[in-house]
Amino acid sequence: MRYIPSTSEQQKEMLKEIGVSSFEELLSSIPENVRLKKKLNLPPALPENELEENIMHIVQKNADFYSMKPLIGAGAYRHFIPEAEKALLQREEFWTCYTPYQPELSQGTLQAIFEFQSHISRLTKMEVVIPSIFDGASATAEAVLMSIRLTHKEKIIISPLLHPHYRETIKTYVEPHNIEIVELPLQDGATSADMLKQSLDNNTAAIVVQSPNFLGGVEDIQEIVEITHQNDALFIQVIVEAMSLGLLKSPGNMNVDIVAGNTQSFGLDLSFGGPHNAFLATKKEYIRQLPGRIVGETKDRDGKRVFVMTLRAREQDIRREKATSNICTNHNLNVMAGNIYLSLLGTEGLYQYSLLNFKKAHYLEKELLKSGKFTNPFPYPYFNEFLINYQGNIEELRKRLIENNFIPPLSVWQFYPEEKFRQSLLFAVTEIFSRDELNKISNLLSQ
Amino acid sequence: MKLIFEKSFPGRIGFSKPIDLFDDIKLEESIPIKYLEKNKKQLTEVSEVDVIRHFTKLSKFNYGVDDGLYPLGSCTMKYNPRINEKMAGLANFSYAHPLSFPDMAQGSLELIYRLDKLLCEITGMDKYTMAPASGAHGELTGVLIMRKYFLDHGEKRHKMLIPDSAHGTNPASAAMAEFEVVEIKSNENGTVDLESLSHAMDGETVGLMLTNPNTVGLYDEGIESIQKIIHDKGGLLYYDGANLNASLGIIRPGDAGFDVVHLNLHKTFSTPHGGGGPGSGVVGVKSRLIPYLPTPVVALEESSGKYYFKDVGEKSIGMIRSFWGNFSVLVKTFAWILSLGPEGLYECSKASIINANYVLAKLKEYYKPAYDRYCGHECTLTGREYKKYGIKTLDIAKRLMDYGFHPPTIYFPHFEPYADETIMIEPPESEGKEVLDDFINTMIAISKEAKENPELLTSAPRRTPITRTDDAMAVRRPILTYDDELRLKDELNYQEKDINF
Repeated sequence: MRYIPSTSEQQKEMLKEIGVSSFEELLSSIPENVRLKKKLNLPPALPENELEENIMHIVQKNADFYSMKPLIGAGAYRHFIPEAEKALLQREEFWTCYTPYQPELSQGTLQAIFEFQSHISRLTKMEVVIPSIFDGASATAEAVLMSIRLTHKEKIIISPLLHPHYRETIKTYVEPHNIEIVELPLQDGATSADMLKQSLDNNTAAIVVQSPNFLGGVEDIQEIVEITHQNDALFIQVIVEAMSLGLLKSPGNMNVDIVAGNTQSFGLDLSFGGPHNAFLATKKEYIRQLPGRIVGETKDRDGKRVFVMTLRAREQDIRREKATSNICTNHNLNVMAGNIYLSLLGTEGLYQYSLLNFKKAHYLEKELLKSGKFTNPFPYPYFNEFLINYQGNIEELRKRLIENNFIPPLSVWQFYPEEKFRQSLLFAVTEIFSRDELNKISNLLSQ
Repeated sequence: MKLIFEKSFPGRIGFSKPIDLFDDIKLEESIPIKYLEKNKKQLTEVSEVDVIRHFTKLSKFNYGVDDGLYPLGSCTMKYNPRINEKMAGLANFSYAHPLSFPDMAQGSLELIYRLDKLLCEITGMDKYTMAPASGAHGELTGVLIMRKYFLDHGEKRHKMLIPDSAHGTNPASAAMAEFEVVEIKSNENGTVDLESLSHAMDGETVGLMLTNPNTVGLYDEGIESIQKIIHDKGGLLYYDGANLNASLGIIRPGDAGFDVVHLNLHKTFSTPHGGGGPGSGVVGVKSRLIPYLPTPVVALEESSGKYYFKDVGEKSIGMIRSFWGNFSVLVKTFAWILSLGPEGLYECSKASIINANYVLAKLKEYYKPAYDRYCGHECTLTGREYKKYGIKTLDIAKRLMDYGFHPPTIYFPHFEPYADETIMIEPPESEGKEVLDDFINTMIAISKEAKENPELLTSAPRRTPITRTDDAMAVRRPILTYDDELRLKDELNYQEKDINF
């Protein structure tokens, strides 16, 4: 076997050195009754060329996703990924190493994480950044648990425009803790401040609002934060489309308490939904209740600036059942990817890409509305995703788009099964579409 | 070395400028000014060349499995086959949108479905969820399933038994399900003390979370009694799969009575650790627990031969993340299992067990083992006897770096009186005998140095890009971003910002 260097001769020598006559002797502490007595019933080993053919055969059953540009986002966005990022991620030193517990052998990973924390801090204007929780949904759930630890209160209010998977994940995480979860009713493209006021009380730990929200809408965060703080609750902003950070007001400038941000848009493949990555950002005063790993700066014995994992007294390997979370392995390689991506884009690039997302989405919406086949159910300010109602047959529209190599938009009815959303489509338009393509799409759908 | 922010020059760009033909669309017309940031967010201004050189240099400050032995115990730092990376990177896998119609993603769904079957056969379980993103995430999923099972059966069980040798994630995960953690002491053999276990197990107890072989690297010879004690009182047995690399084709958790297992695909199944993830912590259950799995699971409609997402139903614990799983990690796992076949899997465990016992046999004279008996795929030694020379186990680990090795896991597991100052060594199957001989000879040389020239150890490492770090200062005065550093500029007197290596 090519992944096992020692030959059977060498293994025999080793067994001799160990002082046993057979490998079986080493297994003597496994009771006979529980030993596996047959060969595993698995397909026989495939040579590398046949393995490749086998998997090629499977992947060919997928649509040609590479060529098909998605008009769907809903929590996973196809953006352009620079080749320089992909090339750097091929460095084995980045991907074959473990969690950087030994700083002397891990400065590459540690410094990159520190840079990512710095990047996210500047984008969000939040003081402290946990660079990696698995994904936006689990990061949001961790933010909710954190808010309960900080406030010792027992109620969480959730915007109906929070991504449905995120809402479900919060419920799963919170279920054992005897916490009341109130989901506000859906009205239009924004979370209702009036509804929120009615639900907020002294026992509310936090309110969770996504902006841009699931329908792409930019929420009036400042207003809701004020209402939240008047009731001594914490405000958790969820960011699912990180590209929006290039234009929209930073949460830290709106006095948001905790931000959970999905960074899939920062240089990560769609990969059928994972692995992606998310950060948690907050104010310095809440640092002790943060879950997960963080990197800090210090000196080595020679007085050089170096980076280490720090504030670890919160973590499971030290605190066990008293830890702030059980999280251990996270998605560090995707932090590396995000850091390289943001370094390449820089100040100007992120702004330009972000602006183009905005422009292209708005252009398509305008063109679709012009055709007369589409109507706007309720207007709201949005970033790169918008809701629009189609007058015709949605099944037909879907077919037409697929035939022309586009992945159709999301039918929101599957997540909001209300009659008014029967004909509603959620379009996502990123920088990857050209004006010609957008024209082609609007022509296709206007027939 | 300089941060990317310190390499910034106004006006430089590292991105390819997109073409903007959309002057007719105005931002201010559609988004109220108060929602927008007045100025561009200040990141960096560097060229593509700067970025390539910066990160290439950073990479050289890291040590990976491809650089050499990486014997971290309970981490299974084995070789990550290149073909797996290629398969996971196939464009029509990596560009697949998670919410596209199942008809468009039949290949991705088929792979998930078939991987479930393979993992069930390898571990003796009945059904897997691919959702959990890591081992700890799998543990959380597993304990929530156990919790839901008892709630559904009208039982209020609130205690979870966890051996003192367990990973910290076990008690932390149990706490997230609001279980009270009851620690079970290890006996003089390093395994679960059956008397303590039967004493602790009662009708209010959910069950036991067990790693087998455990973190000391020992198979629990009492596994039959353990499962009987737990099951007799109606409890469930949880298997932490961190050490499955000692079991492939030898013992299956399902056959040994485990009801729930999580597997770290980034350990046993060869997918890379990525500097701390992403991995995957898939969870397998016995049939009676299938109704509680996270929703959805992939199913096959026999009549049409089509794969689809099936809602698990009202008993499901719900979703534990967005979308379906760390898909690219699943592709690598699938490729690995097919590459090895049943004999290959067995050969992996066999080679790793021989490796660990070989290291144990050769080093036990120099570093007293926590328990002097044959081990599984990892062995636990201690650095105790060097205390009298003023040497801590940490010093031994740091000295190994000067010889070009990544150190083993140290100070874990930790429990008195058997396991303290521990050095947990896991030499996976992808390490050949001559690599182990080098490592063994180095460890012996270090033991000699510890006695004769301890300064070599306490001043180590010297041959790495940096020397030992002041971790206390990092906590006392947290600098967590570049802007923190800028604010404290006057207080910080760094010798140099550039690491010469």
